[in-house]
Amino acid sequence: MNYDIHYLTSYRYETPVTDNLNALRVRPATTSSQRCDEFHVRLDPEARIHRHVDYFGTEVLEFGVARPHDHMTIDVRARVVTSEPSEAPEAPWEHLEGETYAEAAGEFLLAADDEPDDTVLADLLDIARARTPLATLRWLNELIPDRFAYRPGVTYVGSTIEDLLDAGAGVCQDFVHLALVLLRRHGIAARYVSGYLFSAPEEGGSASVEVQTHAWLEALLPGTGGRGEPIWVGADPTNRRLAGETHVKIGHGRRYGDVPPIKGVYRGTARAELEASVHMTRLDPAASARA
Amino acid sequence: MVTDTAAYRPPTGCFDEVFGPDGTPRPHAISLAAEIAQMGPELLTAAGHRRDAIFVQQGITFDATGEDGPVKDRPFPLDLVPRILPAREWDHIERGLMQRIRALNRFIDDVYHEREIVRAGIVPWRLIVSRSHFARAAHGVRPPGGVYCHVAGCDLVRDADGSWKVLEDNVRTPSGISYVLENRVAMTRLVPQFFQHHRVRPVDHYPQLLLAGLRSVAPSAEDEATVVVWTPGPMNSAYFEHAFLARQMGVELVEASDLVVRDDVLYMRTTAGLRRVHAVYRRLDDDFVDPLEFRPDSLLGVPGLVRAYRAGTVAIANALGTGVADDKAIYHYVPEMIRFYLGEEPILDNVRTYLMADEAQRERALARRHELVFKPTSESGGKGVFIGPSTPQDALDGLADVIRAQPERWIAQEVVNLSTVPTVMPDGSLAPRHVDLRPFAVFGETIRIVPGGLTRVALTEGSMIVNSSRGGGSKDTWVLEEDPGGGRDGFREGDTALHDIVPTTMPGLRYGSEWTGQQQQQQQRQAGVGRQDRRGIGRR
Amino acid sequence: MLSRIAQELFWLGRNVARAEHTARMLDGVFQASLQGRPDDPSGVRLGWGSILAIMGAKADGRPVRRDEVLNRMTLTREEPASVISCVSRAREGARTVRDVISAEMWEAVNTTHLALSAGDLEGRMQMGPYSVFQYVKERSALFWGLNSRTMLRDEARAFLVAGGRIESADMVLRMLRVAMPAMGDADGEGIDGVRDGQALALLQAVGGFQAFRRAVPAPPNAGPVARFLLYERAYPDSVAASVDAVHGALVDADEAPRSSEPVLRLSRLAADLEFRGRAAAEDGNLAEASSLVQSELALIDADIAERYFAGAGAATGTVLA
Repeated sequence: MNYDIHYLTSYRYETPVTDNLNALRVRPATTSSQRCDEFHVRLDPEARIHRHVDYFGTEVLEFGVARPHDHMTIDVRARVVTSEPSEAPEAPWEHLEGETYAEAAGEFLLAADDEPDDTVLADLLDIARARTPLATLRWLNELIPDRFAYRPGVTYVGSTIEDLLDAGAGVCQDFVHLALVLLRRHGIAARYVSGYLFSAPEEGGSASVEVQTHAWLEALLPGTGGRGEPIWVGADPTNRRLAGETHVKIGHGRRYGDVPPIKGVYRGTARAELEASVHMTRLDPAASARA
Repeated sequence: MVTDTAAYRPPTGCFDEVFGPDGTPRPHAISLAAEIAQMGPELLTAAGHRRDAIFVQQGITFDATGEDGPVKDRPFPLDLVPRILPAREWDHIERGLMQRIRALNRFIDDVYHEREIVRAGIVPWRLIVSRSHFARAAHGVRPPGGVYCHVAGCDLVRDADGSWKVLEDNVRTPSGISYVLENRVAMTRLVPQFFQHHRVRPVDHYPQLLLAGLRSVAPSAEDEATVVVWTPGPMNSAYFEHAFLARQMGVELVEASDLVVRDDVLYMRTTAGLRRVHAVYRRLDDDFVDPLEFRPDSLLGVPGLVRAYRAGTVAIANALGTGVADDKAIYHYVPEMIRFYLGEEPILDNVRTYLMADEAQRERALARRHELVFKPTSESGGKGVFIGPSTPQDALDGLADVIRAQPERWIAQEVVNLSTVPTVMPDGSLAPRHVDLRPFAVFGETIRIVPGGLTRVALTEGSMIVNSSRGGGSKDTWVLEEDPGGGRDGFREGDTALHDIVPTTMPGLRYGSEWTGQQQQQQQRQAGVGRQDRRGIGRR
Repeated sequence: MLSRIAQELFWLGRNVARAEHTARMLDGVFQASLQGRPDDPSGVRLGWGSILAIMGAKADGRPVRRDEVLNRMTLTREEPASVISCVSRAREGARTVRDVISAEMWEAVNTTHLALSAGDLEGRMQMGPYSVFQYVKERSALFWGLNSRTMLRDEARAFLVAGGRIESADMVLRMLRVAMPAMGDADGEGIDGVRDGQALALLQAVGGFQAFRRAVPAPPNAGPVARFLLYERAYPDSVAASVDAVHGALVDADEAPRSSEPVLRLSRLAADLEFRGRAAAEDGNLAEASSLVQSELALIDADIAERYFAGAGAATGTVLA
């Protein structure tokens, strides 16, 4: 599919602030099933943008506004072509053993510092395992939204899995964090994905849709057949499905903190009022361009 | 009264550095032992009181946790008996450390770039990325000069056979150098007679070495790079040292709020506006340097610093991400690193270490848990360490569960019976106490190591915990210029050819009160004082 | 004011300053001598023989021993250049001008004298001379501190200050000339741009290490240290700063400074130091410069005696230890 993405963020400060430094991770990635054709960022006040690719391969844009200012607008536009990812491999659990898998999995199998211990997760861990790794992934897509309500506002960006368990509700980010822990505990490497999700309007068409930045995950599933190359497969527990051509990936990391869309600090005592919106427009509903 | 050194008994099973097993002083320490005996317990105790008074007055104090809770502003416990290292022994240590630091530096560069040591199958990648100090923000960044460990302070111990071993590597922000310098100054003031028969290598050039090292890696086109020392602030336990180094180097001591990044250049705020900074000697961990890259909740950091660092406009010492190399699980691999990167055999050995992440090693080690030392991999300063022989059985059993739950966060080591050095007791007598050694190396264009280093001493009998935060003290560490027998007696009587020294045109000293010259002369004759006495005593 | 009183004040200042400088110098050399020093390519030397040379001793061919020099220059009353002799002379002078200086200043000098004369100083020297030197430095600081807090800023004070500052300049020049006989050749960079030399000891001996560090980015090698001690006006114990201070004091004290020979000489010397200081980076011959400055100071000294002290002690009374 072919999308036009317009991600507009604006901050208003009660009194002028200075030395406002920001790091953006907003550019759609180029992967085997996705291609970013155009990408522009406009800033107000204007600032020089420094780009680099971080450890996880995500492009980072950094800028700073030193002089006093009372507002900051970040206007991101991108054009992306996506295609349906290849079939997810259905291999038995035993294929998780072995050096090839461990090497590809790398740090995405390792527990994080702030994870709850097994006792807290015990009952979830027990039932989270299915017949195969792929089946487990699909099952988590059902299990998590069954157990937890999607409710914005009960958690915040710094919330832990325990916060989600306590509240019984959360947002996509919390769902993904929980799924990652469950997968890793079962020996499946998994990573956090940040991106945009196109949700088609009721009756199709090419209308512009207001969406949000979104989070899902990718699990490393062992390959089938002789070679057995493992493959990263996207799954979206918030929307009960595997990731497809409506998912536009920005980047991945071990957790949210590795790929936040916007991270910034400024000097000043003023509170910031934030308005953010993401508009996605499907440009060419018929075409399904291979990236 | 003289001190009875014959009453001194080195403990069995340990190497005493001053007295041999038969109770006689080792050759390089004979005259020191004699001086101490000569001085006697009363004078030693008195010198100790003077020391405490001077340290408190100069603010050379530290805060510790005592039995009755925190103790503030204790004078740093410097033991008055120095530790002596003969020149030959020091040469060995120095070569060993240089080799080790070169290898560690190569390892850090490799980890954040080509990962050759991983591809060669020597260090597992998963072990590296699971280290808490592995810094993803440092990935792909090569600091100016390719130097990462600008300042290194490896901890060395001496085994029962007298051989030197590396106990741990400190390549983040090792502290203690200020005590090395202050100890030396205090010793020359308190017990100058101990220096009488030794030629001790000086240590006070360390700040110059550090400054030159920092300047040599600073990306500056100008003549003199601006260097700063960055402290977390006066509440930090090592603030004294931060201020000490800034003062000795003549550079600014800054806190985060003094620094600002504009575009990709680091500046400090001065009364004359922003001034560019080329090199930062930072005394805080990676986690706190830049809230945009590391911990976002850190108020100690400088937003954008990592960007400036990535752009190569500023050198940060030590470089970001060096902590991966002084992790205790990585320590295990250092001898292999030396072989891999340098093609050399290690000059200094490791203490035998077992990785708890390896199941076979773990179970063998846990079976011997009452004999071994267990250490968390990412801590330093003796935090969280369990010493098997002195830990109750139930605590060790609990520890075994903790280790099995998170094996990659623990290592086990054989116990090293640290060497002992005679140490002054409160009554002025001498008793053996265990010591370690932390030499300080500066890596700029080359590696330079200040002779000696910080000797830490456990002040409790039999204890091997030398950390000052837990009741340890320190000793002045002497590296002798030459071994005895090398000759050069009477060096103090140098400058005999006085006529070479006096410039020919130097006027003599003048004395005042010639106004009353007549009366003076009369007085002098009466008093019969030497001709030269022209004090104006004639007018009362 | 009376010439006699003016001269007494002038020498009171000189003796207090000399006692302090001697103590600092002995302390610096003592500390440095306890440790080995790598050979210093810059040729700075500051040892026990140097101290005798600085204080004007003649070579007698005998070997110079540390403990002899220490005792002689600190506590020996028969040695006119010793610290205790300086303090004794200062105390006698202060007694004479008790009514002119403030009572607190008199007490400061008197107590110092008493403390040095009484007590087991030999014992303290044996245990470590640091405490004795530290005491002298502190008392000197107290004296000058009280001077600026409690003494009327009049002609009397001007002569006291002039004496103290001319002595400081002279002592620093002596140390420089003895410790750095070949200063001019010593500007090259050492290994790694770092030299562990006696230049450090010299700075410590005048108490200027920190000031140097803050003012000069170059490592403390012979050349930069010598330039700093000679020309750095911002450093209060530099020769240039002392000359300025003597000049200022005499301008205050003199009825007709424009026709005063010592004031005119001091102006010329100050201007000369300023000029040399700016040219110093190129002009390497610091040894020659300090020799010239010292001779000029001697002439100024003589001029001061002649103009203000009625010629009483002009150019006489040179004493050799």
